[in-house]
Amino acid sequence: MNDLRIHPLHEGTSAYATACFLSREKNMDGAELRRFAERLMHSLSASSIKRGAKVIGHIKAYIEHQEGFLHAHTVGEPGDITVDGRDGGPVGRFKLVVNSIIFGLPEEAVKDAADEAIRETSALFGLVREPAGLSRE
Amino acid sequence: MRLVQVAGWLGSGKTTLIIALSKGLSRKGIKVAVLVNEIGAIPVDGRVIQDYGLTVKDIGGGCICCQMAGSMMKTLRLLREGPNPDIVILEPTGIAVPHAVKKMVLSAAPSGEISLGPTIVLFDTTRAAKLLGYETLQRAVTTQLKDADIIALSKSDAIAEEAFAKAGESVRVINPRAQIIRLSVTNGDGMAALTQVVEEMTVPA
Repeated sequence: MNDLRIHPLHEGTSAYATACFLSREKNMDGAELRRFAERLMHSLSASSIKRGAKVIGHIKAYIEHQEGFLHAHTVGEPGDITVDGRDGGPVGRFKLVVNSIIFGLPEEAVKDAADEAIRETSALFGLVREPAGLSRE
Repeated sequence: MRLVQVAGWLGSGKTTLIIALSKGLSRKGIKVAVLVNEIGAIPVDGRVIQDYGLTVKDIGGGCICCQMAGSMMKTLRLLREGPNPDIVILEPTGIAVPHAVKKMVLSAAPSGEISLGPTIVLFDTTRAAKLLGYETLQRAVTTQLKDADIIALSKSDAIAEEAFAKAGESVRVINPRAQIIRLSVTNGDGMAALTQVVEEMTVPA
């Protein structure tokens, strides 16, 4: 988490980033992975709004696995979720990086919203979470 | 080494434009590197740009217009001593204040090492009413637009012509001196013009 109140125009902005590995026994194909990414974006946005976010600044996710990558993002408008990338073959384990920038929520609430969304969306797809380091490598 | 800033509010299409612009400039024989700054401690955009085969350095964990100024200057020096590109395309965070970034580069860079190219500010025309009408965003977005040399009216493919024209008029009032370019990376609208302008403003004849 970061304190962004250094420049006056940054007032009210909070950010949170997290990374983890998600896995399950049955492989996910590209289409299911895209559904996961889309559902996660929706859940991250909803979870932040539920906690009182004034504006969804930008929520981004990067999914990386041996066969390819996906990046997803939303600015919280209805229907604006975008998922792009290279699917590759079915995978049973992937790295997820989530980066949320939210207006009008304390940093702890942005963290809670992100953690809840990842937990619930992972459970929905039968994925188990393992921690990952802060490096993007 | 010239610095081209591609600024603009969160979600305005900066990363997508930078990928297309870098490819366009590279095809013209111009050596390009990208420097990406993100608020989040774990950068995402740099990784996305890297996936398209471009040279990228990223700075995460704060905004270069205030907190991360030292990291940015250090990274620019590394680029100069390493790949030494003709142009560094800088993607600041979506909340960055372009004139604060410019001021910082001018004050911290030793004379002749790094010069400033144009500041391009993207404006998402599909969210014009919210960006210019919602109090939380309006002041920051207006400041970004005022700092622009070039304003790219983005996502022109995703908005009705009348609404697009209205967004353009609002932007023109905020910054009457900027060059305004209609842009859609999706259908290529304005990409050749923008690439040409950046080339003319950054590469010596």
